Amino acid sequence: MALSGFRAFGSRAITQTITSAQYRHLHRFLSSAASTTTSGGSGVSVAVKKVTLSNFCSVLDDLRIRIREADFVAIDLEMTGVTSAPWRDSFEFDRSDVRYLKVKDSAEKFAVVQFGLCTFRWDACQGSFIAHPLNFYIFPRKVLSVEGPTDEFLCQTTSISFLAKYQFDFNACIHEGISYLSKTQEEEALQNLCSAYENALLGFSSESEEYVEIPAVRTADVFFTERMKIRFHEWRENVLKYPEDPILEGNDCGHNVDFQMVFFKMHPAIMLNGFTFHQLKLIQLVLRKYFKDLLYLCVSGENCSSQKLVVYTDSEEDRASLMSFIIGPLPSSMEEFALSVNKILPHIIDTKHLISSNNFIQYLMKKKKKSLSSAFSLLCPQLSSTSQNLASTRSFVKVDVQADELGSSSWNSGAKHEAGFDAFMTGCVFAQACSHLGIKFEQDSSIMDLARNDNLKSYINILYPSWNSGTVIDLRTGSESPVSSYKRKYLKIEYANIALIWGFSSKLKPNDIEECLCKVFGTASLISVFFLDRTAALIQFNKMELVNDFLVLKDMLEKDDGPVSVLHPLAKLLEGGNTRAADYDTYRDICSSSASTSKILFADQAEAIGIRWKTKIRPACKETSELDVLKDSVSEHQSNKNDSEKQSQHQFSFEEMLNSL
Amino acid sequence: MAAVAIGKGRFAGVPVKQVTKSNFAAAIQQIKADIEAAEFVAISTRKTGDFSSSSLRHPWRRVLPIDTSETAYLKSKLAAETFELFQFAVCPFSIRGSKVVAIPYNFHLFPRDELTLGMPSYSFACQTSFLASMAREGFDFNACIYDGLSYLSRVEETKARERKSGSWMLTVTSSQNPSVADSIFKERIKSRVTHWRKACKDTSQAKDGSLVQSLRKLVLGGEFYGSRPGMSVDICSEKQAQLVFEIVEQISDDLVPILIPDNGVQPKAVRVVLTSSEEDKMVLLTELQSFEDEQNLKFRGFRQVIDLISSSHKTIVSHNCLHDFTFIHEKFLGPLPETVAEFMCSLRLLFSNVVDLNHLLKEFGPLRKAKNIPSALSYLKRHYFVPIELEVPEQAEDGNKSHGNNVLKLVFLFAKLNMLLKNAPSSRSALEQAKPIEDYANIFNPASLTLHEPGDDDETGWQIDSTRRVSTDKILFLWGFGGATSAVELKHCLLQIHPVFVEDFDVRFVDKTCAVIVFETLGSAETLLKDMHSVDTVSGVLRDMVVEGLRAAGYEAYKKVCRLGLWEGDLADSLEIALAETVEDLCSLSKTDTNENRWKNEMMIDLNDL
Repeated sequence: MALSGFRAFGSRAITQTITSAQYRHLHRFLSSAASTTTSGGSGVSVAVKKVTLSNFCSVLDDLRIRIREADFVAIDLEMTGVTSAPWRDSFEFDRSDVRYLKVKDSAEKFAVVQFGLCTFRWDACQGSFIAHPLNFYIFPRKVLSVEGPTDEFLCQTTSISFLAKYQFDFNACIHEGISYLSKTQEEEALQNLCSAYENALLGFSSESEEYVEIPAVRTADVFFTERMKIRFHEWRENVLKYPEDPILEGNDCGHNVDFQMVFFKMHPAIMLNGFTFHQLKLIQLVLRKYFKDLLYLCVSGENCSSQKLVVYTDSEEDRASLMSFIIGPLPSSMEEFALSVNKILPHIIDTKHLISSNNFIQYLMKKKKKSLSSAFSLLCPQLSSTSQNLASTRSFVKVDVQADELGSSSWNSGAKHEAGFDAFMTGCVFAQACSHLGIKFEQDSSIMDLARNDNLKSYINILYPSWNSGTVIDLRTGSESPVSSYKRKYLKIEYANIALIWGFSSKLKPNDIEECLCKVFGTASLISVFFLDRTAALIQFNKMELVNDFLVLKDMLEKDDGPVSVLHPLAKLLEGGNTRAADYDTYRDICSSSASTSKILFADQAEAIGIRWKTKIRPACKETSELDVLKDSVSEHQSNKNDSEKQSQHQFSFEEMLNSL
Repeated sequence: MAAVAIGKGRFAGVPVKQVTKSNFAAAIQQIKADIEAAEFVAISTRKTGDFSSSSLRHPWRRVLPIDTSETAYLKSKLAAETFELFQFAVCPFSIRGSKVVAIPYNFHLFPRDELTLGMPSYSFACQTSFLASMAREGFDFNACIYDGLSYLSRVEETKARERKSGSWMLTVTSSQNPSVADSIFKERIKSRVTHWRKACKDTSQAKDGSLVQSLRKLVLGGEFYGSRPGMSVDICSEKQAQLVFEIVEQISDDLVPILIPDNGVQPKAVRVVLTSSEEDKMVLLTELQSFEDEQNLKFRGFRQVIDLISSSHKTIVSHNCLHDFTFIHEKFLGPLPETVAEFMCSLRLLFSNVVDLNHLLKEFGPLRKAKNIPSALSYLKRHYFVPIELEVPEQAEDGNKSHGNNVLKLVFLFAKLNMLLKNAPSSRSALEQAKPIEDYANIFNPASLTLHEPGDDDETGWQIDSTRRVSTDKILFLWGFGGATSAVELKHCLLQIHPVFVEDFDVRFVDKTCAVIVFETLGSAETLLKDMHSVDTVSGVLRDMVVEGLRAAGYEAYKKVCRLGLWEGDLADSLEIALAETVEDLCSLSKTDTNENRWKNEMMIDLNDL
C-alpha cells in the first residue's frame, strides 16, 4: 500500500511489463476500489480519503501523479504499540546505541495499522496549497501463497485502547487492510517462488492440460489472442533454453518494438509497448489461462532519487517502523540506519525539530509543548478553527483540501490521531513554518525546490532520535549531536561510570539503595541512581574505577559467607541472593535481546536470555590482579578459581546465546 | 419463550447472546441462574493466536505428536502467556433424554487497563493468520476492543487491591480486651459523634445565618456526603477503623460509617453519614452497594463469570482442554506453574470436573482421527443414528448474532457422544464397555488442533488401527544433515551411514532444520548417539557426515529446550544451546531426575498422529 505509494515517488511513467516470475503474488497491495472518509473533528472539516484493499489500485494510480506533482509530502503512522516493556522506554540514561536498540525493538515487534499520506501542491493561480490527504489501512496479512510480512505482531494494550478512544476502525484494518512486503522480503519471496517455479517446470506438460475457454467475442480478438499465445510461448521456450542470457542468445523477440525484452528485478521480462487497453486485457487473459508461470504486471518506474521532499513528524519510532516495513530488517546500528534511510528518502524534515529549533516559531508557539495538534492550532489557526475573525497580524499560508469524488459517501472523520489527518496537520505546520522561515511560495511558484532552499537547509535530514535524548541525528552522516534547547534532568552522564544492578529485593526502595551505596562509597562518589523499572537500576558513580570496585566488592561478599558479608553495609542490597550487577554494556546487551515475547520486568528479561551469573566484572582490566588480591585477603575460599572459571564459562554461553538469538 | 430447535446440526442462524460492557451487569444475573439450573457448562474461546496455525517461521512451537504431556504443557503455557482471549463463549446446558437445552452466551473480552495499573496485560501478541481467519468469519473487532469486558486474575486482583483499596465496608468484629488507649479513643469519638449528631438533628438552627452555619461546620468538622450531613473521623490504623465502626453502630441506627480509602494500603478516615430515615438509610446502602459492585466489576470484570462457573461445581465440557485451560489459568487465576502436575493441581482448585472432548474423541475408537468438531460431527452423522435435538431458548433481545456458536457444536457433539457411550452395548460398533461420562473427566489430551477451515470434513484417514505408542527413548533428533529437503531423501541417506538404520525406522521433519527419527527397538538411538560422539573410532560415511556437521540429541535435549523456553529460532539452534548448557545445569538435572522416572511410563507417544 503505502509502500507502493511510497515507492511511486518520482516514478516517471507507468509501463506495462510482463515478467516470467510470479511477481504478481509479491506485489504487495494488489487489489483495491474506492471509498472515502469524512472529517469533522474540533471544528475542522477535512476530507481524508480512506484507502483499503477495495480501492487501493485506483488510488495508487492517482497517487503516482499527485506525488510527482507535489511540492512536498507529509506522512504519519499509527502503530499497535510504542514499547514492548516499561524498561524499554526511552531514558535520558540511554546511550545513543541503546536508544537505537530500543526503537529498533519497537519497530520490529509492533505493526503499522494506518499510514497517513498527504500530498501538497502549490497552486499559483489560487495562491494556496492543494492538499490531498489519504489514510491507508494496513494489515500484515498473508497474500496468496507468499508468507506475509510477519506472522505475529505485538499489541500494547494501552496503545490499542488509545486508538479505540479515537474511534480507530479495527474492522476496516483487519478485514480490508492492505498488506505489504518489505523490499528484502520481496526479494526473498521472489527467490522462493523461482525455485518453486523451476520444480514445477518438470511437470509442465501435465499442468497445461487444463484448458479454459477465453471469451473472445470478436474475430479480431481471436486472432490476436492466438498470435499472442504463440509469441509468449516462443519467448518462454527461449527463456528456458537460454536461462543465462535470453536476450543475447535468444532470437527475434528482443528486436520487436512493441515486444521489448527487458529484465525486471533480475527476471526476464517483456515490456509491452503500444498496445491498446483492450489488447492488454486480452493479453492478461491469455497469460492467465495458458501461462501459469508468466505474470502480467503494471510496474512503476524504479524509484529514482526523487527531488520530492518528505515531511515527517513524530518520532524515530515512526521512522524505524517505516524502515522495517518498507525496506527490510533494521540494521544493527544507528549510523547504518541513517544512511540507509537517506538513500531511500533523501530529503526528510522533522517538523518537531523544525518548530522547536526556530526562535520565531517558538515565540509564536509561546514555548508550549510541541504536540502536533497544539502546533497545528497555534500555527495554523485559519485551518484549525472555523471562526473567520482572525486578527491577521501574521500572514497565513492557504491550504485547500482537495476531495475528488465529492459525492462519495464515506470519508474518514479527520480526527486527531488518525494517520491521514495527522499527515495533513503535519504538512500544514510545515508550510506555515516555511513561510515563517522566509520562504515565499507566491514568488518562486514556477519551480519550488524546497530540497535546495537555503532557508530550509539547516533543517533537512535532521531528526530527533527520541523525545528525551537531547540530541539530533543527521541522516546524511549518521552522526548525533546535542541540541542546546533541550533541558536535561540528569546533567552529565558518563556511561563508563555507570553500573547496572537488577534482581534486588522488591522491598528495597530507591532511597534504601542510595543510602546503602553512600555508606559504602561515600556520599560524594554517588551521582545518581536511576530506576529502569522496579527490578533494575543504573548507578552512576563519580569515577570510572568505582564501577569496578563495586562489582568486585559485590562478588567478594557473595563468595564469602562469613560475618563480614553479613555485616557489610552492601549486604542490604544483596538480600534475597538474586541481585545481579554488571557494567553499562550489559544494559545494552539486554536491550539488544529481541525475544519475541519481551518480558515486562527487566530482571525477567535478563533471565530469559540466559544470564546465569551474578556479577560480571569487566574483563581484561588492570583491576583483575587487584581482584585476586582482595579476594585472598578477605576469604580463603578454595573454589575461587573454579568460580571464576565457571563464571567466564557462563559469560561465554551468554554471548553465544545472544549471538544465536 | 420462543425456542430454536436444531435437529440436524445447523448452527449458523442460531442466536447467541452477545455480552459486552453495556449489558454485562444484566447478563451476569441471568447466566448465574442459568448455570445453577444446568447440568453441564460448555466453554469455548477465541484467541489472538495459539501456535496451532501453520506458521512457517516456527513450526515446532505448536504441539506436535512427538510431545509428551510435559512438553505439550510448556508449549501451551507459552501460548497462554503470549496471546490474549478475545471471546469467551459459555453455554450452560442440560440433557433430557434426546433433548438438549442450551443457553449460549458469548462474552467479548479485551484486556483493557481499567485501573491504570498495567494489568491485566501490558502487551499481547496477535497472529496475523488468526486474525485474518477471524475476519473471514465476520468477527467484530471493534465490538471487542471498544466494548469488550476486561478482567483481572485472582492473583492480579490481590495485587491491585493492595494498591487501590476499594471497599467501604468493614466487618465489625467485637474487639476483645480493649487497651486503655482504645477506650480513650472510643470515648472521645463517641462524644464527638453524638454531639455532632445532636447538632445536626437540631432543626432550630436551620434559621441561622450562613456565617453561623459555616462556623458551626468548621467547629464540628461536619461536611456533606452527597445531600446528607456527614463527618470525618481521622484514623491511623485498621484497628481504629474497627473501633469507629463499633461505636457508630452503638450510637444510633441512622448513622452509616463509610471507610474512606487512601491510595496507600491503610485507610485514612471513616466518614459517618447521618440518614434521615430508615428508608433513606436503605437508599444510601444500596447506593454504596452498587458503587462496590462497580468497583468489583472494575477489578474482576469478566472473571466473575469464571468464578460463577467455578463455584457452581458443574461439569465443564471443552474441546482441546489443555489449550483452553492454560489460558484460563493464566488469565483468570494466576501465572502458570512450571510443570504440568502443578498445573493440574492448581486447576483442580478452580474447576473440579472437566471433560475434554478431545480426550473423549480419542477414547471413542472410530473418532480417534477426528481433527475438529465439524469432522467428528459429520462422521457421527454418517455412521450412527443419534437422535439429539438441540433446543436454544430465544432471548428477547436485539443484536443476538451467531458469534460464538461454536460452543453449540461442542454441546451437540458432547450430547451425541454421551448418548453413544451410554448405549454402547446396543451400538453396532466395537465400543468399549460403557463408562459414565464422569470417568472421562480431568484427563486432557494435548492435541495439535488445526485451524477450522471451511469444508474440512474430508473423508480421509478414518481407518481404525491399534494404537502405536513409542517410548521417548526411541526418539532421536537429528540436524546438520545438509541438503536433504524431504523425509524420503533423508531416510535414504541415513540407510547408508549406520547399522542401526538397517531396522525399520521413521523420519519426519520437525522444521526445516531438524528431523526426528523414531526407532523400532530400544537402544538404537543410544548406540547411534554414542558412535557419533566417538567419531575418532568410527569411520566411513558416518564420520564424514559428523565432520560435515551432522548432530543428534535424545529426547532429554528437546525437553530441556522446552523447559528453558528456547523458543526463538529454529529447533536445531535451540537444541545446540540446550546441549551447550549441559555442564552448568548438572545440579538442576539431578534434582528433576526422580521426577522423570515417575512419569516415564506416561511418556508414551501416539505414533499414529505422526
